[in-house]
Amino acid sequence: MSQRNFHPLTILGTREEIGGMAKTVMFDVPDALRETFAWRAGQHLSFRFLINGEEQRRSYSISSSPFTGDPLRITVKRVKGGVVSNHINDTGQKGDVIDVMPPFGSFCLDPGENTRRTHYFFGAGSGITPLYAMLSSVMAAEPNSFAHLAYGNNNEKSVLLLDELNTVWETNPERMSIHHVFSKPGFWSSADYWRKGIVDKPVIEALIAENPPYAQDAQYYVCGPGGMNAAVKAVLMSLDVPAGRIHMESYGGVGEVDTSVEGIAATASVTLGGKQHVVDIAKGQTVLEAAKVAGLKPPFSCQSGVCGACRATLADGTVHMLARMALEDRDISKGAILTCQSLATSEKLTVKYD
Amino acid sequence: MTRKLHLLPVEAYTSRDWFDREMRDIFSKTWRYAGFMEDVSEPGQYITVQAGLNNIFIVMGRDRRLRAFHNICRHRGTQLIRAVGKTQKALTCPYHDWTYDLEGNLISIPEEEEEFGKVDKSCLGLKPARVDIWKSMIFVHPDPDAPSIAEWFGPVEPHIGPHVPEELVEYEDLNTSYEIKANWKIVVENYIDVYHLSHLHSSTLQMYDHKAGKFHWEGPHYMFWEPPVDAFLKDQESKLIAPRVIPKDMNGAWVPMLFPGIGLAGSEEGWNIFIIEPLGPELTRVSNRGRVSNSSGWEFTKQSMKSSMFWTKFGLSGKYEAHDAMSEDDPMVAGDFTGEDIYACEQQQKSLKSPYFETGPAAVGESQVVEHQRVILEWLGDDE
Repeated sequence: MSQRNFHPLTILGTREEIGGMAKTVMFDVPDALRETFAWRAGQHLSFRFLINGEEQRRSYSISSSPFTGDPLRITVKRVKGGVVSNHINDTGQKGDVIDVMPPFGSFCLDPGENTRRTHYFFGAGSGITPLYAMLSSVMAAEPNSFAHLAYGNNNEKSVLLLDELNTVWETNPERMSIHHVFSKPGFWSSADYWRKGIVDKPVIEALIAENPPYAQDAQYYVCGPGGMNAAVKAVLMSLDVPAGRIHMESYGGVGEVDTSVEGIAATASVTLGGKQHVVDIAKGQTVLEAAKVAGLKPPFSCQSGVCGACRATLADGTVHMLARMALEDRDISKGAILTCQSLATSEKLTVKYD
Repeated sequence: MTRKLHLLPVEAYTSRDWFDREMRDIFSKTWRYAGFMEDVSEPGQYITVQAGLNNIFIVMGRDRRLRAFHNICRHRGTQLIRAVGKTQKALTCPYHDWTYDLEGNLISIPEEEEEFGKVDKSCLGLKPARVDIWKSMIFVHPDPDAPSIAEWFGPVEPHIGPHVPEELVEYEDLNTSYEIKANWKIVVENYIDVYHLSHLHSSTLQMYDHKAGKFHWEGPHYMFWEPPVDAFLKDQESKLIAPRVIPKDMNGAWVPMLFPGIGLAGSEEGWNIFIIEPLGPELTRVSNRGRVSNSSGWEFTKQSMKSSMFWTKFGLSGKYEAHDAMSEDDPMVAGDFTGEDIYACEQQQKSLKSPYFETGPAAVGESQVVEHQRVILEWLGDDE
């Protein structure tokens, strides 16, 4: 279970971003943990903090490519009133030791030496972090492929990783392009941007029309806040893009929450760490809550259906998931559930953590 | 000096059986040229192409991505669409109006209830093929899971010249197509035969130094480059008939023959393709297209005027003297190397049926011809 356990990692160094509104935190991965912490571009890390006596867990996307020699790192933007994001920005420094769960997540781009694709990236705000890891991986390790990014921000002052984006673009001008979309460009702004507005239908259509796929295996990656992912997916599908080519990850919680089902009391057989346990689930209680109440230590992180840390397989019975952004339809068809979002809808469940 | 004997029997160039095996085992199992990228450049536009035994159509969706499908209705197998055209959102078979969307999904069956009861349309989508663009050309592969085109052509890229065809524009006058009454391998062998360049084309391709030519194979693909002769190289800017398209330190004629039958020909002034398509055991179509510098008409005019003096004196002429012409358009007198090649191929094919036909030894400059025959045998599984 070491893949779902926390390990103490030392901060190698930090870097302030966008005038102190965000921070990049790099980690020193000791040789003994190198394999455990090997990551795929697009994956994220879960963190455990003790802040003011309370345990807090959060997930952040890895903002570096595993193919460029850069250290494992995250880039965290301050969220107004955010306990953890401000804690990291205020106090995180070289030498600190933090509890980190190894990389996971299925929003990934695995480059291939002979793979030839056109990758379209649609991001906004801190949604750039996994997209930057993917984009720089394509440039470093998929030499026959192309990439185009549409990146939405308020203005040039909120563009994360701008220098690194420019560097990778300058190094690969023939194979990629970056298109900045600003919703509130400064009046005196001298910074170049492509369009005013947000990453919406006209922007998406223009990006594709101006940069039609050269390699015909086109893939689309979306990472933005709130309703952006669903909106971008709807636009792409209206342009004949098959759903199987669209890959998404949301951040900041708010996805669709389906509270139409209340759930029932049930008994679950839970396999965790190779051991089988019997867990009683109360009406309205999630599988994760019930397992914790029963004294088990199942993996979890964001508890909002976004990160996927609490994922398990439902071998028998039925559940209703309140939110399920971390799962694709094909995961669900194979029995995957997010235990933090699952209410029992049958009296007996069989749940297995991988 | 090793003298090689030719490897293939005469039947390989004349029989229906060999032709059928090549269609099945070579042309149905490799990437096939389908057109220039400009041919399908708007959503809804489509073209069809014959790839060995497979008729495949390529259509662009509104996402500007190409999709390729086998051109076969899943109902009774009728060809869905004709050679070229434009559709909106759906493809309808003319036979019973079964309709598919641009992803190949079967979306409607007329009178489905009365005629069939319930049909599981999800099992009756069009069969996909693989499509990609390489060097500004559209290619298809009948197998949707075929290795990527980067894997197939990747090894040749360092050897086929510095041309960037995506940055050149098509020159319509170079778009020609003609049939040669010869087996397709005769045409390939002619294309890759270094020995004949100084002889058949002694007065049509003498601007390149054939003796200094370099050739080798990258898998089944043949690579060839030869430098310009001194007379053409000296003050070359005044001798190019069109604006230069490659850097001077990469001068020369880059003339690879990719497998199967995909010839490229790049020079200082342009980039051309020479696509060999077998039509029958003794009939082959060649399709040529070409690209030139994306410069103004005035640039072309200047270059053409500047160079005309040199070419008048340099003297391109026919292999035979005018008084030996057998007709007004005798290719051996006209001074056009393509005509000379067609003539040679057809004359060779004619002799194949003679009971007295026998090949002589292969020259060093013909070793490539024998090597191509070996590649054919390998693909037909006859190479033990």
